[in-house]
Amino acid sequence: MAAISGEEAAVKKNTSKKGSVMVVGGGISGIQSSLDLADAGFKVYLVDENQSIGGAMPQLDKTFPTNDCSMCILAPKLVATSRHPNIKLMTASEVKGLQGEPGNFVVTVNRKARSVDEELCTACGDCVEICPVRFVPQLPEEKDVRTEMNDEDVKKVDEVISNHPQDESSLVPVLEDLNEVFNHLPEMVIRYVSQVLDVPLSQVYNVATFFTAFTLTPRGEHTIKVCLGTACHVRGAPRVLDEIKLSLGIEPGETTKDGMFTLETVNCLGTCALGPVVVMDDEYHMVTPGKFGDLIEDFKSGIAKPIPKPEGVKK
Amino acid sequence: MSPLKKISSVKELEQLIDRLEKEKRGWKGKTIVVPGGTCGNARGAGNILKAVNEAVEKEGLKDVKVRATGCIGYCSQEPMILILPERVLYPDLDPARVLEIVQKTVKKGKIVEELLWKDPAGKTISKMEELPYYNKQKRMITGNTENLDPNSISDYLAIGGYRAYMKALNMTPEKVIEEVKSSGLRGRGGAGFSTGMKWEFARKAEGDIKYIICNGDEGDPGAFMDRNLLEGSPHSVLEGLLIGAYAIGASKGYLYIRKEYPLAVRTIRNALTQIRDIGLLGENILGSGMSFELEVYEGAGAFVCGEETALMASIEGRAGEPRPRPPFPAQSGLWEKPTNINNVKSWANVTLIMNKGADWYSKVGTETSTGTMLFSLVGKSNNSGLVEVPMGITLKEMIFDIGGGIANGNKFKAIQTGGPSGGCIPESLLDLKIDYDSLTKAGAMMGSGGMIVMDDKTCMVDVAGYFVKFLMDESCGKCAPCREGLVQMDIILERIKRGEDRGGDIELLEELASVMKDASLCALGQTAPNPILTTLKYFKDEYEAHIIDKKCPAHVCKALITYSIDKKKCVGCTLCATKCPVNAISGTAKKPHTIDPEECVKCGMCHDVCNFDAVEVV
Ligand SMILES: Cc1cc2nc3c(=O)[nH]c(=O)nc-3n(C[C@H](O)[C@H](O)[C@H](O)COP(=O)(O)O)c2cc1C
Ligand code: FES
Repeated sequence: MAAISGEEAAVKKNTSKKGSVMVVGGGISGIQSSLDLADAGFKVYLVDENQSIGGAMPQLDKTFPTNDCSMCILAPKLVATSRHPNIKLMTASEVKGLQGEPGNFVVTVNRKARSVDEELCTACGDCVEICPVRFVPQLPEEKDVRTEMNDEDVKKVDEVISNHPQDESSLVPVLEDLNEVFNHLPEMVIRYVSQVLDVPLSQVYNVATFFTAFTLTPRGEHTIKVCLGTACHVRGAPRVLDEIKLSLGIEPGETTKDGMFTLETVNCLGTCALGPVVVMDDEYHMVTPGKFGDLIEDFKSGIAKPIPKPEGVKK
Repeated sequence: MSPLKKISSVKELEQLIDRLEKEKRGWKGKTIVVPGGTCGNARGAGNILKAVNEAVEKEGLKDVKVRATGCIGYCSQEPMILILPERVLYPDLDPARVLEIVQKTVKKGKIVEELLWKDPAGKTISKMEELPYYNKQKRMITGNTENLDPNSISDYLAIGGYRAYMKALNMTPEKVIEEVKSSGLRGRGGAGFSTGMKWEFARKAEGDIKYIICNGDEGDPGAFMDRNLLEGSPHSVLEGLLIGAYAIGASKGYLYIRKEYPLAVRTIRNALTQIRDIGLLGENILGSGMSFELEVYEGAGAFVCGEETALMASIEGRAGEPRPRPPFPAQSGLWEKPTNINNVKSWANVTLIMNKGADWYSKVGTETSTGTMLFSLVGKSNNSGLVEVPMGITLKEMIFDIGGGIANGNKFKAIQTGGPSGGCIPESLLDLKIDYDSLTKAGAMMGSGGMIVMDDKTCMVDVAGYFVKFLMDESCGKCAPCREGLVQMDIILERIKRGEDRGGDIELLEELASVMKDASLCALGQTAPNPILTTLKYFKDEYEAHIIDKKCPAHVCKALITYSIDKKKCVGCTLCATKCPVNAISGTAKKPHTIDPEECVKCGMCHDVCNFDAVEVV
């Protein structure tokens, strides 16, 4: 793709293909693409609407799945991008229009006024310090997530949160309860919890993805848990799991297409003498290989009734 | 029973306990105990309880009590009932037979011979303590399970509950710590550090607030001792916590219990409400000036959260990642305050030590490992369940006397102790004594007490691979040796399981193991190589069979086995063909069938369903 900023519109008539590329969006993928292209010898225009490149990555503590320090990965790339002779950075810029065809595009870019000479600025920050009007750095105003959720959900979340102390230590219990209420943790709920408990979103996300009790995708109506603990393993649990996977056509962590069953695995439910153990909703079953077919049929036809709890046990 | 009133002095509590104990002694009737717990309920204890209640009502029995208790340990024989005071046990019971028992045994004192436990020769035994499963056990901590309804604090007080706490209040905190120290109690959570010493560090640490924590995360797969204790005798754990709080000077405590144990969480919550109601929690408890609060915290499912620093991180509302020690929790733990953390079983032991005295306690067990240890004996043994034995008993006694040998007449191969951090012990070491030091010397570990019995149908390479996969999933990923090392180990083991020979794989495993041992951040990574190292040490021939002979001797590793049908034995019943999930079996009725090796996914279903033993695995 050839990229030409508005000032150079004259080139428009030239039909030969250009060896230059415009990358729109300066997040980590944009940065990496630019670096790779630039190293391969293309002229790269890297456009981002923000004042600086980097995107969401600098806001994260760690990266998935390796838990590496995210700034440690990003920072060298930021420097490399700004220094690369083949990359032209266009920050505070928005793409307004695109014409032409592959190999010969004309792009209209709107560059916002910065009133600072980028070439000379060393980002010392002194101007912010002394500016009487803008003495406080202008952070983007945080939107109230509640406006994006429906009232009923807001009420549900508020109710759960009000049962716990409003601080960081309630994070896990609050998420546990919400996971139960919504059957998973919707994105808006996670954002809302972060705001109310005043815990950084990255931390809420970190916790929500760390523990197996939480899921970020909706679960089916019924949950089938297969124990893969050691005792169940030596008594044939892997074969039971294979059987269930074949029978339902899903992998652990997935939900059947009709939304009926979610398959999960756990490491020991503490009923090892029963192994291999399969829990359907809250009922424990001893399922030796070959027995799942009958169980699921029973379950579907509603015959598999929960075993009554002893009466002495209070809820 | 009317709810108990709030108690405001030690004297009042004494009087209440005296009264309840007297009432209990005065009771001359029979008690029908129906052990429940998660495992019992799953096996239908609820139906038995219902049948018992109906039978008692039908027979109009007045001086008979029915008591739903926690699990009394013999899980493989559940559901059961136990009749007190004779202690007659009817195992593996059908609810339809309950009425007969109530009519004969409870009403007339006659024993229903045919429902009793039978040994392989057919001899019946009626008394619980005389069963081979129980007669080598010493149930010091779990022995009260049948005597109390876990949801009733009066039951606990009636057996002298909370006397140990009162005894502690009459001593100085230093004296209490001295007592725990001289009892020789070592932490039951795995590492086996002296509990008294840990308390002393926490006592001496400077801090305006101190915390104590009860570690009930029990992430070890194959272990359920803590669950049983919490479900069966919650107050003995809470009493231990109260004693510990007094000795250390803690004002707040947490019970961290994993979410996978819903019944345990419910039971302990209920018990907490009860002691709060009678005034054993809160400000100025029993007028002693001690103030203490306890809270239940549900773990959200991560093995590594059993590690103390990770556990505290998750209570603070962060992901459960361990941090380097020192500083140890006793100096800087929860919210950087001095914190003492002990396992559920350790806390229950404290109650016992206070009750009976350190001298009495230290006489049980061996010199360096005092007291009893709770084990969950599971896997391929005939009997499985919760076992409490004095330290120093041999593995042989454990597996063959208590466990009743191997199920289905198979041959014993190994016993795995210590969970994912432990190791597999072979037959040649069966005379090993079970205590902290002997197990560690054998390359395994006491751990928290899971014991998994494996027979000759268990592939040791597969077991090693299982633990590596488990730990790979559970590693928090913070340090590289553990995170990356486990992935590499998994790749290598998978290769061995496929029978591929790349040369030097075993040496590579050993090298990886030594790096992980030295360089990992927490004990999860440091001990992760144990399952591999012990299987390599004791079962190297199995690894070699995979790599060199391309055979899995236990017929477990799918890539190295094939299923076929013995033409001579097959009668053409078509059962296997109908059960095969991928339709790999063909043949006409009444004629021998064949398996298409191309289609076969080696699920083993045909082998399991065949009634004529015609499906062969090689
Ligand atoms: C990976 C890992 C998992 C652990 N899991 C448990 C556990 O489930 N329960 C437990 O009581 N201790 C567990 N521990 C041990 C605790 O860190 C701690 O040593 C123990 O709770 C101290 O109690 P104790 O002195 O009574 O043994 C674990 C340790 C590690 C390294
Ligand atoms: S191993 Fe499955 S319940 Fe314990």
